[in-house]
Amino acid sequence: MKFMNRFMTTLTSTRHAVASSALLCALSAVGHAADEPVSFAKDVYPLLAESCLPCHGPDSKARKARLRLDLRAEATRARRGGAAIVPGRPDRSELVRRIDSDDPDERMPPPDSGKRLEADEVARLRRWVAEGAKYERHWAYVAPTRSRPPAVRDRSWPRGEIDHFILARLEREGVAPSREADRRVLARRLSFDLVGMAPQPREVESFVADEHPDAYERLVDRLLASPGFAERVAVYWMDLVRFADTAGIHADNTWDIYPYRDYVIESLGADIPFDQFTREQLAGDLMPDASLRQRVASSYNRLNMISREGGSQAKEFLIRYTADRVRNASTVWLAATVGCSECHDHKFDPLTSRDFYRLGAFFADIEQVGVYLQGANKSRFFPPYLPVPTERQVAQRAGIEGLIGELRKTLAESSDGPAAKELEKLEERRKKIDNETAVVLATRSVKPMTVRVLPRGNWMDDSGEIVEPGVPAAFGSLDVDGRATRLDLSNWLVDDRNPVVARVLVNRLWRLLFGRGIVTTLDDFGRQGSLPTHPRLLDHLALELRDGGWSLRRTVRTIVLSAAYRQSSFLGDEMRRRDPFNRLVARQARFRVDAEFIRDTALQIAGLLSRRLGGPSVRPYQPEGYYAHLNFPRRKYRHDAGESLHRRSVYTHWQRQFVHPSLLAFDAPTRERCTVERMRSNTPLGALVLLNDPIYVEAARAFGAMIVDRGGTTTDERLRFAFRRALSRAPRDRELAVLRDLHAASSARFESDREAARKLLSVGSLPAPTTASPAEHATWATIGRVIFNLHETIARY
Amino acid sequence: MRVREAARSLSSRRAFLVGAGSGVGSIALRALFAAEREESIGAIRRGIVDPRDVPPRAKCVIHLCMAGGPSHLETLDDKPELAKIHGRPMPESFTKGKQIAQLQGKPLKAFAPQHPFMRYGDSGLSICSQFAKIGSLADDVCVINSMRSEQINHDPAHTVFNTGSTLPGRPSMGSWVSYGLGSETEDLPGFIVLSSIGKGGQSQPIAARQWHSGFLPSRFQGVELRSRGDPVLYVKSPPGLGRKIQRRSIDAIQALDRIHDESVGDPEVAARIAQYEMAFRMQESVPLLTDTSQEPQRVLDMYGTKGNDGSFAANCLMARRLAERGVRFIQVYHRAWDHHGRVKRSIEVTASEVDRATWALISDLKQRGLLDQTLVLWGGEFGRTPMSQGGSGRDHHIAGYSCFLAGGGVRGGVRHGATDELGYEAVEDVVHVRDLHATMLHLLGIDHRKLSYKLKGLDVRLTGVEDARVLSGVLVDPGAGESTG
Repeated sequence: MKFMNRFMTTLTSTRHAVASSALLCALSAVGHAADEPVSFAKDVYPLLAESCLPCHGPDSKARKARLRLDLRAEATRARRGGAAIVPGRPDRSELVRRIDSDDPDERMPPPDSGKRLEADEVARLRRWVAEGAKYERHWAYVAPTRSRPPAVRDRSWPRGEIDHFILARLEREGVAPSREADRRVLARRLSFDLVGMAPQPREVESFVADEHPDAYERLVDRLLASPGFAERVAVYWMDLVRFADTAGIHADNTWDIYPYRDYVIESLGADIPFDQFTREQLAGDLMPDASLRQRVASSYNRLNMISREGGSQAKEFLIRYTADRVRNASTVWLAATVGCSECHDHKFDPLTSRDFYRLGAFFADIEQVGVYLQGANKSRFFPPYLPVPTERQVAQRAGIEGLIGELRKTLAESSDGPAAKELEKLEERRKKIDNETAVVLATRSVKPMTVRVLPRGNWMDDSGEIVEPGVPAAFGSLDVDGRATRLDLSNWLVDDRNPVVARVLVNRLWRLLFGRGIVTTLDDFGRQGSLPTHPRLLDHLALELRDGGWSLRRTVRTIVLSAAYRQSSFLGDEMRRRDPFNRLVARQARFRVDAEFIRDTALQIAGLLSRRLGGPSVRPYQPEGYYAHLNFPRRKYRHDAGESLHRRSVYTHWQRQFVHPSLLAFDAPTRERCTVERMRSNTPLGALVLLNDPIYVEAARAFGAMIVDRGGTTTDERLRFAFRRALSRAPRDRELAVLRDLHAASSARFESDREAARKLLSVGSLPAPTTASPAEHATWATIGRVIFNLHETIARY
Repeated sequence: MRVREAARSLSSRRAFLVGAGSGVGSIALRALFAAEREESIGAIRRGIVDPRDVPPRAKCVIHLCMAGGPSHLETLDDKPELAKIHGRPMPESFTKGKQIAQLQGKPLKAFAPQHPFMRYGDSGLSICSQFAKIGSLADDVCVINSMRSEQINHDPAHTVFNTGSTLPGRPSMGSWVSYGLGSETEDLPGFIVLSSIGKGGQSQPIAARQWHSGFLPSRFQGVELRSRGDPVLYVKSPPGLGRKIQRRSIDAIQALDRIHDESVGDPEVAARIAQYEMAFRMQESVPLLTDTSQEPQRVLDMYGTKGNDGSFAANCLMARRLAERGVRFIQVYHRAWDHHGRVKRSIEVTASEVDRATWALISDLKQRGLLDQTLVLWGGEFGRTPMSQGGSGRDHHIAGYSCFLAGGGVRGGVRHGATDELGYEAVEDVVHVRDLHATMLHLLGIDHRKLSYKLKGLDVRLTGVEDARVLSGVLVDPGAGESTG
């Protein structure tokens, strides 16, 4: 019951965080063998962080009594009244005396702080001091080390190195891994995880029937090679970098950004190494002989929310944009809560306010204004822009340029009437091509603006020190001549000596494939974040990624080929008690898939999904008046027609203030800021979307027609067809019975009310030709609609 | 029919509440479910604050958000001295070094209040005569004249008012309250948002961020109740399907989910079954909610509405209907207060939209005995300058502005705080938004220091890290309101 207790504590006292974390610590100490020394990271640091560091930590402004307990040298320094900590001598340590004192004037933490150390916690700190008060450097800031995959007793289970790390831990805990999941489950899991939708039935069937030993591997490789892989990972990357089609503040105007999204998808598809991917986004514009592709990549730097609200103070907003960029880049690459240092030194991590503004100074060269009151023209409010011509446009333009040059030469020699006319025409054509050429918000480097440390983050306070670009001091310094640039920053991030970036990335990939990170706080690798459940595995994966050429696809492939990944997600009673959070990875995870993939799956089942890649964002059906709150200008939403209605959801127009309601109901983020982890809510609003959003009704219509046309002739044949198509398996008899009942009821209704059938079949704009009568078609659309709504359809097991 | 009964026999309420969780919450809830700890599930239904930290006075909040920034000088803050220097430059001692919005770099001339104030009620509270109906409730309202904001533009100022922070991704106060106290209705969301536009000023945009749940689970997100189209998005079944087939379809979904669950034993499935039940109930209850034809004519007349027409008056009536049904937090936006020009006329227009409806709502709640347990908050994201803009209007102003509270444990006939003699800066009992939040939570029975959520190693609160105080002066029962922190 240990885990249950721990969990109950967390739940009931979330709001009483002090008590809760104290209890949690107490519980972790319960499991702590009496003869093992106290662990600084696990047993001591959390107590210090909660009870002591707010006043005796890294934040110099909040520090009391000039005492610092997060550094051993400081904590053990001789002071008047005795050192806070005398290693090995709790009886002579002021800290121990004060935390154990009965005198309210002496007691630490002070009673009025609302914090309190329980008796066992005091005992633990005392023991830690007695054992020598050993400090450890925070794991994430120490370079990852390579370790030989541990030996395991069951040599038959591991399929690769990952499995050694997982199994060694399981064996130590006396827990067996779960059996391998059924092939149909694996096919669905892989398809959802790697391409973001349910598999095609024939893919499942051929995998199930494939007796070659490498059947699984080939399925993985097929999926990884499909463009769907890039689109699926792009959804996550776009959450991280807060990609959206609108500016986000006040009028939330649309901007031109889709070429950046296409850059992401193309790069992931081509498996561009992550170090290059990083450099191009942060500093593509600064690269020597930057290609168009690289300059488009650098639009990453323009993804922060910006304002064109009248009356806004330009200076304030310029500072906000900088802070926004620092928060984003530090979360995306470092999982560091640098944002806390905007107003004060970090309370727990070695990040100072100065560090924050020095990071900000990297972005000071980006051409921008504070408030975008004037635009280049009526619809383009956010200059500068970069034209992004297609290859064809480049060729066409070059051809026209050539002709124009020749004509000019001719005209210079003699004023030829027809030639002049021809020239005019060509110039007209050139202009037309230019107007048709896509543009993207551009990152253009100009003379850097001055960046100061802002006391308490106050933009009106000019008293702070002027700072130059630099990385957080605790991470060392950059070795560059002159002013460091964004390119230097990006090089530092992906340098072999950076201890964090590769770990952050593999941890997030692990989360996509196991439903939870090795470090569960995906956005906080600092002291307050959670500790890795499998630290050596994390390091192993990070080094494999880094030394193996930063290939995301290879890392994903290695993980999904593991025996750990292939485990069943079934959770029996014993493990539910033993390890409800699956810290041991003794099973796979099961969860509802992300918003985009729910919609893509329905379109795929219905045979509607367009496989076109890239291009301008698309506008699906959307309830009228959904943008009524927007103004300047008022927004009239017109949904697209034809194929655009059935594109993958990654291409959906992303209005930050009003994200498409159908996606929002399944936790699509607003992308106002970095989202490292979406919630997976289960609400009535989600049910209403799947039941009633016209896109799902339209898909049900198409699915209904497909069932009638391709699903055989009898009701049972058709039900089997529908089930197999949506759920990759045959229905059970009881399931057939339920659907037969519904079929009978629907059929009776629509046969007796043809008008009702016609109404249902009019939802959406798709002509769905079928040989069926309207009543029959409506009946099967009803069945299809029910199938789209099943938990199993939208869950990954 | 066996199937339907089976689905229903599942305690759908319990499963609903369990399943409504997500993220860490739902993992936790799943384990809970497994342990079958009934009492703890009850705790979730009642919210995370259980029991209440302090005796609650209010069960429900209605926030009448006067979006755009009402001029305190033509609503709630009587400044006769300002008239005396009308047209003259504002004394520099007032304006020097202060943040200014659209008047940046322009001459700053004093601009007299454009409408007279009158004293109302036994308490003699002074309120602008354009708001005579609200004035007639003077003995029931507590006017706060010393509000201050940090943000001088609409979007960020609303964000601060709703979330206590300018950073995106923070939960709105309605989400915090829902998270803290849970819901008392089984067929409606616990946090509902209504909105209207007026004719008196620019309709400034309002972002859905203002009712977003931020980092809290999304079930605490505000749900918009719309006057046009589906009242709740996607609440209407597709045409031609009919109620019976919709019910049969949901029965089939639930039955198939149950069969599936027998092999996987996944509490999320049970939760989904319950959510479909809730969705169906919403499909039944929302049309009843929005059908105001059952309201007697005298009630419609009292509010000044013909029915559910999307006006502020109609939304006030809807707010009462929601409060009656146990909705926890109701936010009513009226996007009509951005009076940069012609403030005299604009106030008349906006008052005609707002005065009667506000009065009707408070009086109606009172008549029904609901006002005691309903906290009404009336006010905008900031106020307006004592200086003129363009000779007839007023610019955004954050140094001092006004709002009022009524019901839910608030003392009536009281004025709290004051601005200086020209209505420029709050100087007496200054009230920051976080003080208002702390007070609101206090009235709901929540200690604002304890309502927190773990995020990036911090216990994040609606009231933030700066000191926030419960305004004991506005409480009927000030004894319990002395908490600071």
